[in-house]
Amino acid sequence: MARIEFKSVTKRYAGDVIAVDDLKLEIRDKEFVVLLGPSGCGKSTTLNMIAGLEDVTAGELWFDDQIVNALPPHKRDVAMVFQSYALYPHKSVYENIAFGLRMRKVAAAEIDLRVRDAAAKLEIGHLLNRRPSQLSGGQRQRVALGRAMVRQPAVFLMDEPLSNLDAALRISMRAEIKHLHTAMQTTFVYVTHDQAEALTLADRIVVMKDGVIQQIGNPDDVYERPRNMFVASFLGNPAINYLEGTIDRAGGSPVFRRGDLAITLPPKLAARVAAREGQELVLGLRPEDVCPAGEAGPGMVLSGSVDSVLPVGSDRFIGLKVEGRDVFVRVDKEARHREGTSIQLGLVAERLHLFDKATGMTLLEGTSS
Amino acid sequence: MTAITASPLVEVRHYRTRSRLRRAGRGLFLAVASLLFLGYVLAPIVWLVSSSFQSEHEIISKPPHWIPQAPTAQNFAAIFAARDSSVTYETRKARDPASGGFIPSTASNLLPAMLNSFIVACAVVVLNLLVGVPAAYAMAKIHFRGRQASIYAILATRVIPDIALVVPFFLFIRNLGLLDNIWSLIITYLAVTVPFSVFVLVSYFESVPDELDKAARVDGCSRLQTLTRVYLPLARPSLVAVILFAFLASWNEFLLALMFTQTPASQTLPIVVASFTSDFTISFSFINAAGVLAIIPPVILALVFERYIVSGLTAGAVKG
Repeated sequence: MARIEFKSVTKRYAGDVIAVDDLKLEIRDKEFVVLLGPSGCGKSTTLNMIAGLEDVTAGELWFDDQIVNALPPHKRDVAMVFQSYALYPHKSVYENIAFGLRMRKVAAAEIDLRVRDAAAKLEIGHLLNRRPSQLSGGQRQRVALGRAMVRQPAVFLMDEPLSNLDAALRISMRAEIKHLHTAMQTTFVYVTHDQAEALTLADRIVVMKDGVIQQIGNPDDVYERPRNMFVASFLGNPAINYLEGTIDRAGGSPVFRRGDLAITLPPKLAARVAAREGQELVLGLRPEDVCPAGEAGPGMVLSGSVDSVLPVGSDRFIGLKVEGRDVFVRVDKEARHREGTSIQLGLVAERLHLFDKATGMTLLEGTSS
Repeated sequence: MTAITASPLVEVRHYRTRSRLRRAGRGLFLAVASLLFLGYVLAPIVWLVSSSFQSEHEIISKPPHWIPQAPTAQNFAAIFAARDSSVTYETRKARDPASGGFIPSTASNLLPAMLNSFIVACAVVVLNLLVGVPAAYAMAKIHFRGRQASIYAILATRVIPDIALVVPFFLFIRNLGLLDNIWSLIITYLAVTVPFSVFVLVSYFESVPDELDKAARVDGCSRLQTLTRVYLPLARPSLVAVILFAFLASWNEFLLALMFTQTPASQTLPIVVASFTSDFTISFSFINAAGVLAIIPPVILALVFERYIVSGLTAGAVKG
């Protein structure tokens, strides 16, 4: 129930550390936006500015048609879930959930109704009289969610809410958070450094690095069409493989060369590198974008020696040495490769990425599209 | 063959016996050490209380009586009787039969001095909390310019010994016209105790996670409400430490009180009790009875807050 807009917002800390630099971002009403990036990229600072917990150094922050730069947190209609849950240790679960409503002078009967309703939804109804110290991590997480839910805020903020949970619980909570967003019909801003979480939850992902937005887009966009090498390598696990090389037009159509490796670029890529003959480029290959050598077209074959074989149940990862580089690829779990042997794999032509080595930017989009 | 199978069993049995002995030995050592320490701490207090119920004659008996053989409350009666009359050289013998009739000439000042001490100590406690709590919260949780510097400045004031401050304080108090007024004590005691209180509370507030502060503010608390509704309930053990410290520091303070108070109107307990030792005659039983009265308020305070003192000692030891 709120649209958030950053108009060239900058956050500078004492000592001239720039945490967020000239941020321009519009978060639509009822949207689920994930701020994704490594630690220190400014994503939590951005979230704190939305909450009002950090001042905006320069620029304007708007909620709908109101500028909120100077509005203290208790006057903004936001609720927040923290990584450490931040439950009040001296209050019972019930009082923890009710506290935000009490501070807003909601009638006692209404508070009781909302607290019990939220507790039932989160399946913590039997814990209402406990203290936070008597709860498990997952239960605390639910209380923290409940505390934010009952407020029915215009903006729902989450700062790495799942980082302290174990792996299995994290995945089931992801589904619950997604469900919560559908049920609450409100704007969600979610901070994480976990790319899988971002890809699962987001309507749109904002990838940040060093206080600067690298790319904004829906999960498919940022995964399939990363704007630069940082975004490409931050999303995907295992990370994308990079092979540096040059473009050679000897045989007519452009060929990416690295030592003995020669990959004939498909027409879509060929058009992009028309003017880049002899330049240093970086080929990006996601681990899953390989196929048996026989299925690939001519000139789309990668050869290398198997360095390691890592079965992960559903499929296998193999580490290859390709022209002095380690390349990780995912293959069928039926595929039997032995360490030390040489193998050939086909490349999926339409899924290759090309980057400018100097700038790190993709060659797949831009003026010539 | 049997020797080989038997020896590990014997070994195990030996090991168990040894470790049992070692545990028992450690327990015994700790018990003896605790008893010695307890005796060291309690003996003066036991003697103080015991001798306050003895007559002057019994106090100086050899060997001393730890338990009074002829207990008497006359020392205390003399303290309360002294309130209504003044003692002169001529009348000094007629007061306290237990002390052979001698009481100090300043005996009538004792109860008013106790009241003065109590007022000063309570005022110092209340003002310490009023100033120290918000100051500590601000220093711990609000990142303002000069925050570190102000914490260090506050700590630095504690490095200066009180004796160095006596003359500047005296001039300051005289210029305010507060000599021989209990306000002179309240003001100077605050200068001495507030830095310590702030220091204790800052370190406690800093140990409370920032996210709790943020959660409270997002939940709808202003800064002040965050302090009163979230931080104060959590800080109870530290608050008790501050209350006890401020009360005891004021209750026991001698040097500044000696400088700034001249008459019974503002004299505090330590000054009056000390004056008993430099009178016409020294009555040990009377002084000890005064000593018992002097420790009653701190003891009551400690009993009231005992629950929190213990939890204050263990706070932070176990993760909540």
